[in-house]
Amino acid sequence: MAQTVEGLNLKLKGQKFSLNICHLYPDLMDTYGDKGNILAIIYRCQKRGIDVSLEEVSVNQPLTTNIYDLFFFGGGQDQAQSIVGEDLLKKSDVLKKYIDSGSALLSICGGYQLLQKYFQTKEGQKIPGIGLFDAYTIGSNDRMIQNLLIETDGSLQTQIESAYPSNDLPSTSLIGFENHSGKTYLGKSLKPLGSVLAGSGNNGEDSTEGAIYKNAFGCYLHGSLLPKNPHFADFLIAKALEKNYGPVNLEPLDDEIEWQAHNKAVELTRASS
Amino acid sequence: MDLRQYLALAIGKLAQFMLKISGSGATAAPGLIALKIDPNLVKKLSSKIPQGSIIISGTNGKTTTARLIFDMLSKNYAIVHNRQGSNLMRGIASALISKANPTGNIKADLAVWEIDEATLPQAIDSTNPKTIVLLNLFRDQLDRYGEVEITRKKWQEALTNLPKETTLILNADDPGIASLSKITKAKMVTFGIKDHKISRGNQTGVLDIKSCPICQGKLDYKSYTLGHLGEYLCTKCGFKKPNLQLFASDIDQAKDFSTSMNLVLGAKKIKIKYKLPGIYNAYNILASAAVGQTYALSPKDIAKSTENFSPVFGRFQSVQIGNKSVLIFLIKNPTGANEVVKVLSQQSALNLLVILNDNFADGRDVSWIWDTKWEALSQKTKKLTISGTRAWDMATRLKYANFNLSKNNVYEQIETSIEAATTALSNNDTLVILPTYTALMPVEKSLSKYTKIVKWHKQ
Repeated sequence: MAQTVEGLNLKLKGQKFSLNICHLYPDLMDTYGDKGNILAIIYRCQKRGIDVSLEEVSVNQPLTTNIYDLFFFGGGQDQAQSIVGEDLLKKSDVLKKYIDSGSALLSICGGYQLLQKYFQTKEGQKIPGIGLFDAYTIGSNDRMIQNLLIETDGSLQTQIESAYPSNDLPSTSLIGFENHSGKTYLGKSLKPLGSVLAGSGNNGEDSTEGAIYKNAFGCYLHGSLLPKNPHFADFLIAKALEKNYGPVNLEPLDDEIEWQAHNKAVELTRASS
Repeated sequence: MDLRQYLALAIGKLAQFMLKISGSGATAAPGLIALKIDPNLVKKLSSKIPQGSIIISGTNGKTTTARLIFDMLSKNYAIVHNRQGSNLMRGIASALISKANPTGNIKADLAVWEIDEATLPQAIDSTNPKTIVLLNLFRDQLDRYGEVEITRKKWQEALTNLPKETTLILNADDPGIASLSKITKAKMVTFGIKDHKISRGNQTGVLDIKSCPICQGKLDYKSYTLGHLGEYLCTKCGFKKPNLQLFASDIDQAKDFSTSMNLVLGAKKIKIKYKLPGIYNAYNILASAAVGQTYALSPKDIAKSTENFSPVFGRFQSVQIGNKSVLIFLIKNPTGANEVVKVLSQQSALNLLVILNDNFADGRDVSWIWDTKWEALSQKTKKLTISGTRAWDMATRLKYANFNLSKNNVYEQIETSIEAATTALSNNDTLVILPTYTALMPVEKSLSKYTKIVKWHKQ
């Protein structure tokens, strides 16, 4: 409870938080219901009285510097992904600067792949990415399509525990649905988001899923991810606020429905794997 | 004598008999068994149907359209039709077996087949189609079919070698479907909507086709009717919505879920009224009218058959329980669900029961519920109940759409949810049920306890 009181104290001092979200290529990378992630962040901010704004930046639109605290980059169909990939190269420097100065980013599937060094198609063609993540993806004939359950990386667990404003965090695992044929391999120094408990994850071979670079996260978790993983949603919100306000304590929300959705999905995943 | 075929038919018929006396609704099983014995059974039996087949495929609307066509043509033809639901090869085989005698003669002179999108190439190869109706392609169960473009490419390959006698009936408003007109020698009939009250300058749903299917250039839209359907032009290669041979104008949607429109068939125009809601059904009506015209029906006969059509179970059906009523709308993908949401947003004080399953036939991936704009119903809903294997995912979705939701109204068991929702209903009020595909049967079963409704596998 001490955390809540501190959070309220901050507000009493007259400080109002605000958070600016940038949704990258929402018109082209919108295929797998990833928009729920944006809805979850907005909902959870508004419930707490955090001023939240959302801007959409797509092909041929410049990425303005020094505005955004949190980026979201979802998955799309192959054709859209190649159009986006080309445009992203032009935004690479600005986006990297954002991440290096502490902005948060969540990327999923196609978005995650485009932030890596390159994507090599089944036919051997190399499509360059922007190399934010020291990783690469190789096209395969296996479509990895199933529920995906992971346990978050150890250091991330601690951070999620401290960001989620409830004394009894039911779980630090993440549950979602993966649908990809590209196999992602991480560079030696790049940390995964977590380890696979059920499903394929990055490549179906080394039990890793996703990647972490500073406050940028990549993964294959559709679902949408954040609504039924409210601890990770709050962790991202906290990280995005931290850049401007230092460590923050979020007010707790009633997440019973979200955790029911989480637990049921975990139960179905475990039962079928 | 073809021993293999004889055996396949005999065992298929035996299986049908056994299922009939056990009262089972497993209509595809006899066909599945028979195809194991004779993989060419469908091809062999289809060759004996003098008028060949009419194939209907597309993501949304194929069941309703196939039934509209069946009703329209059944006066003039003895038709074999997979009315009982299975739209894979096994379902076709089952329907053929039930109309065949032991030596393989079929008591039908025309076949009407509703075909699953992924099965279309095989069905074209096996069922001797004279007419092929392609309705639309939307994102649907990406876990089963992969992307929209993958399905479209498979269709394109399957249509390339059609003989020029075949009639291809295409939804010209869908660029993915209209693009198929470029690759075949078949006769073409195009249909679409011309109604400035329906068309909007901005898209309000999801766009499953974002670039030109022919050259990948940018598609410019003058207007949208539904999802990515509308009036489009490729800025690079000039591909555009073809001229419409058949179209609807002055579409008027009434509060009682009935619709009227002016149907323009070439030089003729006729006003029709029918008991189906929504723009998505207007497309189904147009597709079936195009078939009616192809089979030489008069506009008057087409209008009459359409007016008398009664909806298919689950695709908008009304059931009476005493003085309470229940309406059922199947939902299965974001565009289909968005259209149902649009129809319902005309109502107020809704009693809503949403049932989300994640079985194989529903799609294991439930992320599509986040692409559906439920927000339009949050202020129109008086009471919300939620059910299904993924009831809590649905509850989370609707919570984030700002519905007034109590966790006590979430029931994983479908039967319990229907009992609770109908009990809470006031007299003369209506419960609207939105089930996904595999929830339909349990809904029917639960409702049949309260009222006598037509079993859908016996319709």
